[in-house]
Amino acid sequence: MPTPLATTPLPDDQVALVKRLLASATPEQRQWLSGYIAGFQAANDIGVASAAAAPPAPKPRLTILYASESGNAETLAGAVRKEATRLGFAARVLDVADTTPAEIAQVGNLLVIASTWGEGDPPQRAEAFHAALIADDAPRLNGLRYAVLALGDRAYARFCETGRQFDSRFQALGATRIADLVECDLDYKQPAAAWTAVTLRTLAEMPTEPGAAVIRVDFSRAAPVETADDAPTPVEVEVTTHINLNSGRSDIETYHLELSFAGTGLTYRPGDAIGFLPRNDPALVSEVLRLIGHDSDAILQERLSTELDITTLTRGQVRDYADMTGDARLRDVTVDETKLGAFLQDRQLVDLLEAAPKPLRAEQISKLLRPLPPRYYSIASSQAAVGEEAHLLIAKIAWDSHGRARHGVASTDATVRRGIGRRMPITVKPNPHFRLPENGDTSIIMIGPGTGVAPFRAFLQERETTGALGRTWLFFGARRFTHDFLYQLEWQDWLKSGVLSRIDLAFSRDQREKIYVQHRMWEARRELYAWLRDGASVYVCGDAKAMAKDVHAMLLAIVADQSSHDSDAAISEVRELQRAGRYCRDIY
Amino acid sequence: MTQRSRNEEIKEASRFLRGTIAEGLRDQVTGAIAEDDTQLTKFHGIYLQDDRDLRGERAKKKLEKAFSFMARVRIPAGVLTPAQWIALHDIAAERGNATLRLTTRQTVQFHGIIKSNLRPAIQSLHTALLDTIAACGDVNRNVIASVVPQLPVVHAEVTAMARAISDHLLPHSRAWHEIWIDGALAAGGDDEEEPILGRTYLPRKFKIAIAVPPQNDTDVFAHDIGLIAIVQRDHIIGYNVVVGGGMGMTHGEPDTFPRTGDVIGFCRPEQVVAVCERIVIIQRDWGDRADRKHARLKYTLEREGLDRFTAELRQRLGYALAPARPYVFDRTGDPHGWIEGADGRAHYFLFVENGRVHGALLEALREITAAHDGLFVLTPNQNLVIANVTPEQRAEIGAVLDRVGLRDTSALRRNAMACVALPTCGLALAESERYLPDLISALDEELARHDLTGAEIMLRMTGCPNGCARPYLAEIGLVGTGPGRYNLYLGAAFDGSRLSKLYRKDLDHAGIVAALRPLLAAYTRDRTLNERFGDFVIRAGVVSRTSSGNRFHADVPLAVAD
Ligand code: SRM
Ligand SMILES: Cc1cc2nc3c(=O)[nH]c(=O)nc-3n(C[C@H](O)[C@H](O)[C@H](O)COP(=O)(O)OP(=O)(O)OC[C@H]3O[C@@H](n4cnc5c(N)ncnc54)[C@H](O)[C@@H]3O)c2cc1C
Ligand SMILES: Cc1cc2nc3c(=O)[nH]c(=O)nc-3n(C[C@H](O)[C@H](O)[C@H](O)COP(=O)(O)O)c2cc1C
Ligand code: SF4
Repeated sequence: MPTPLATTPLPDDQVALVKRLLASATPEQRQWLSGYIAGFQAANDIGVASAAAAPPAPKPRLTILYASESGNAETLAGAVRKEATRLGFAARVLDVADTTPAEIAQVGNLLVIASTWGEGDPPQRAEAFHAALIADDAPRLNGLRYAVLALGDRAYARFCETGRQFDSRFQALGATRIADLVECDLDYKQPAAAWTAVTLRTLAEMPTEPGAAVIRVDFSRAAPVETADDAPTPVEVEVTTHINLNSGRSDIETYHLELSFAGTGLTYRPGDAIGFLPRNDPALVSEVLRLIGHDSDAILQERLSTELDITTLTRGQVRDYADMTGDARLRDVTVDETKLGAFLQDRQLVDLLEAAPKPLRAEQISKLLRPLPPRYYSIASSQAAVGEEAHLLIAKIAWDSHGRARHGVASTDATVRRGIGRRMPITVKPNPHFRLPENGDTSIIMIGPGTGVAPFRAFLQERETTGALGRTWLFFGARRFTHDFLYQLEWQDWLKSGVLSRIDLAFSRDQREKIYVQHRMWEARRELYAWLRDGASVYVCGDAKAMAKDVHAMLLAIVADQSSHDSDAAISEVRELQRAGRYCRDIY
Repeated sequence: MTQRSRNEEIKEASRFLRGTIAEGLRDQVTGAIAEDDTQLTKFHGIYLQDDRDLRGERAKKKLEKAFSFMARVRIPAGVLTPAQWIALHDIAAERGNATLRLTTRQTVQFHGIIKSNLRPAIQSLHTALLDTIAACGDVNRNVIASVVPQLPVVHAEVTAMARAISDHLLPHSRAWHEIWIDGALAAGGDDEEEPILGRTYLPRKFKIAIAVPPQNDTDVFAHDIGLIAIVQRDHIIGYNVVVGGGMGMTHGEPDTFPRTGDVIGFCRPEQVVAVCERIVIIQRDWGDRADRKHARLKYTLEREGLDRFTAELRQRLGYALAPARPYVFDRTGDPHGWIEGADGRAHYFLFVENGRVHGALLEALREITAAHDGLFVLTPNQNLVIANVTPEQRAEIGAVLDRVGLRDTSALRRNAMACVALPTCGLALAESERYLPDLISALDEELARHDLTGAEIMLRMTGCPNGCARPYLAEIGLVGTGPGRYNLYLGAAFDGSRLSKLYRKDLDHAGIVAALRPLLAAYTRDRTLNERFGDFVIRAGVVSRTSSGNRFHADVPLAVAD
């Protein structure tokens, strides 16, 4: 600090005041202060001595809280923070995993962005927060001002469930809602941008904490929340290998694909996934075109093939179409939710159109159809091992319902229509929360039945090429040993070379009683818990509906059994693992 | 003395048939077991196999071979209770490939048991008072005996005899129980003894068959030891002893050949076990342990001469066998349909095509167990007898059999046999079980054309020259040489006393039919009264007579021979 104060006209006590003020002030506060004093001088031309400086108004604080699984909410939160800072908020981004309702009660201004997973569940890392929030002893949130943006997918029965719960619960706990809940379907960018603009404006114009500055911005010139960074442009990569790994006798098909990244510059890390932009089934496209009366519309045909979702059927769509057609039967279905639910059961868009075929106008089509979302596939290889390639493990999905053969859009496209030499438009989807331990000596337990084993092949390739020494233990399961043992020869080699320390297998259909991975976990509970105690990390990948739930329950049971604690203690021990990043799940 | 064969080393080191089988069973990641152990499990009645249909695709799918196990039950004389049949049914349904394979040695094979199901399967067998001990390997195999339930006393006597011989010659090692039942770590060994078989067991497999004339359903001349029952006043008073029979040979190796056994004398029932034991011991000590292709008793006899062998036997027995008694065989194969017994009970001889019980038949037989308190008797020709049926049960059982339409089959088909071959048999050169039914259909048309429908002609097929369906004793023998190719043998005796002779090589389906067509035509035209096809082709000069095993490859026209 420069000395001029030594020659100041101010008496010592005031010097002390100024010193204290300057000392505690941030650089920009000091800058503002100098400007303020100067301005003050100019405004009322009075002696310095009479200056009783009003303290500077601190910027309004804003917390942007996100609950995210695959990163969309997280990315949005970042974008909102940028915008808020630009507007003069002291904004920070916070992961629900790193806080508690009690802490949140203190933050004043809160914007929440939450996605929903599983079957209407919160993202895994939001479980603890979510539990504490809905608990009876949840803290009061009076004085908290908030708004919630919910991310979801209308294809799921419990659309935006987590966001809805947060929104209603915050209010029930006494917080003040400053804007209505906004629910986003998969195409969330526009609604998200609008929500951001509105909530920031409202907060800005509200009298904030006493003394805080009031922000005045011309919102008509407010920059749109930029979301470019979360949507990398797709790259076309060539399929160089394409093999059904199940035997000719199996009743399922799981394909091993190798994609060439040569010349694309694409990179990824073990645990990452790729996003695949599929083409719809040409036969289905023509059928839809016919039903909406546009058989020979080449442009629309291309849009239906690559841009629009023509399989998923949502409640909204049934209502909209009932209105568009005025069809009595559809109207009748839409009048009550249970009827509607029953109608939706195992039906797809084509069934709706077929129920009352009607030529649609362009804008009706745009209103009716959602954008075709990408599908994600865990990368089954490590670049350290395969270089400019990425391997995928894709289960072909097909089923019959309402007398129709149905085919999974992306899985069928990738396994049936994209043989060797064909190209696939993809993006790399980083998965920062599903990473090998930094320390190669850390033991890992990998639980991945079915296609869930994909990232673990990547993990072992990585550990093999980097020469990591940590122990590795794989739990794999499938229907039948002889016909469905994915990558069998590779696990055998890795066991021989020691890269894989142990494998436990569960084949559900080789004997009368069903055996699944969680049963093998229980049989090995002693060793499994010992590994955990020695600092092992647990990874679970694959089916979210049944497997991940059963495995989670089993993990709790094992911890309770081996630590001989009660279930609550077990729950918190497992939560702690999760928080410490030692229990990671990549489930779908 | 030449180098002992690899198998001899393995047996020696096995600690009485234990090896590392138990460890191998615990290794989940492979469906196989250690190479050497696959030789040892045979002694436990268990073979490692792989589905040859799938071999092509496996490696590129990053899968090992489609391994599974074949398990062969030990059932002396083929006699089972309904309860045991149910056990077999359930094991096949739950642990195997849902088929029961009735064999030419009067027992049952399970196929397609994967490793994780193997011990449970064997344990279920054990609970049903059955085992697989010594069903394969260099030991005495399942002892087979004529199926004559219509002669209750005689049938009881041969059955008891078959069991006595089988039990007496069993390995003494506890390995089977340790590994498959107790699961106790195969520790022991050293304290054990094999008084009869010895540490390294026999040089090769050993087989014993009993026949009750006039029925030669067991092909009594095809085994290391044959016993021909001599019946007087409804009782067996003793047996003629036959030695040195066998079928197996190798294409292009004339010093390997099938051989019909020699009748060397007669002994009383109470002497039989001892006689068999001494013969086994001589073979144990004299058999070739260097070359497994010459290790069977038949080659020992050829090498040492019959006289030296019988002299040695006399010495080891302490007495000479009595002179052989007269006997007459009229046929091989099985009768068919209902046969009334002396005691008012009836017996249904059920034809099972190639011994493969599956699907509707499997279920029907399961259903019959409910109505049936008699016996299920397996025949040495892959068929099944529902024995000791009371008049009341007869209608019920008949109804079930009719419902699954098991009764109308041509005589040719009923008498025919095919070995397993593809896809499970590792030694198969050509299809057998999966192909024979079509060939029969084609030949039945030929027979009809020459109004021979109903003619009893013995036809047998194997997928390789090992001879598992005893093809060299069939009037028409077909032996695989390569995919879709078979050697055609003719001229064996209908009663199983004479081997056949090579007639044509490497025929495909059309070739087989074409080769037989003119012969069948000539047979209808020129046969004498009751002349058998096998005798006719010799009289007509189609092939020359095979007088003995060592002449099997002789007198073959050069054009055919190479
Ligand atoms: C199942 C059966 C054929 C059938 O369709 O019924 C059979 C099947 C096999 N026999 Fe046999 N043999 C079967 C009766 C015979 C017979 C007939 C007999 O015993 O009356 C013979 C000819 C008589 C003889 O022994 O000379 C026979 C001579 C062979 C041989 C050749 C032996 C030789 O001395 O040359 C082999 C190969 C070997 O032992 O090296 C063999 C080997 C085999 C194997 C185990 C193949 C192998 O060694 O890997 C076959 C298993 C195929 C499968 O997938 O099931 N099998 N095998 C018969 C089971 C008998 C039983 O229940 O114990
Ligand atoms: C992070 C992540 C990683 C993933 N990794 C992999 C992976 O490595 N390998 C992999 O194969 N998949 C993976 N998936 C799943 C994958 O993204 C797709 O969801 C899957 O391939 C199905 O997509 P699709 O377009 O073929 O099927 P869609 O056209 O999307 O159809 C799927 C829908 O059809 C319905 N459906 C499916 N089966 C039936 C049935 N039997 N009866 C009635 N309705 C049915 C269900 O509603 C289901 O949601 C992953 C998903 C995520 C989110
Ligand atoms: C396996 C899986 C399950 C999902 N379950 C639901 C659901 O039950 N309800 C819903 O509205 N959205 C559901 N979604 C859609 C996600 O909420 C949506 O993709 C969201 O954009 C993800 O945001 P995030 O990346 O921040 O987690 C699910 C998505 C996946 C992949
Ligand atoms: S004869 Fe040959 S092919 Fe047929 S089962 Fe025996 S060994 Fe196999």
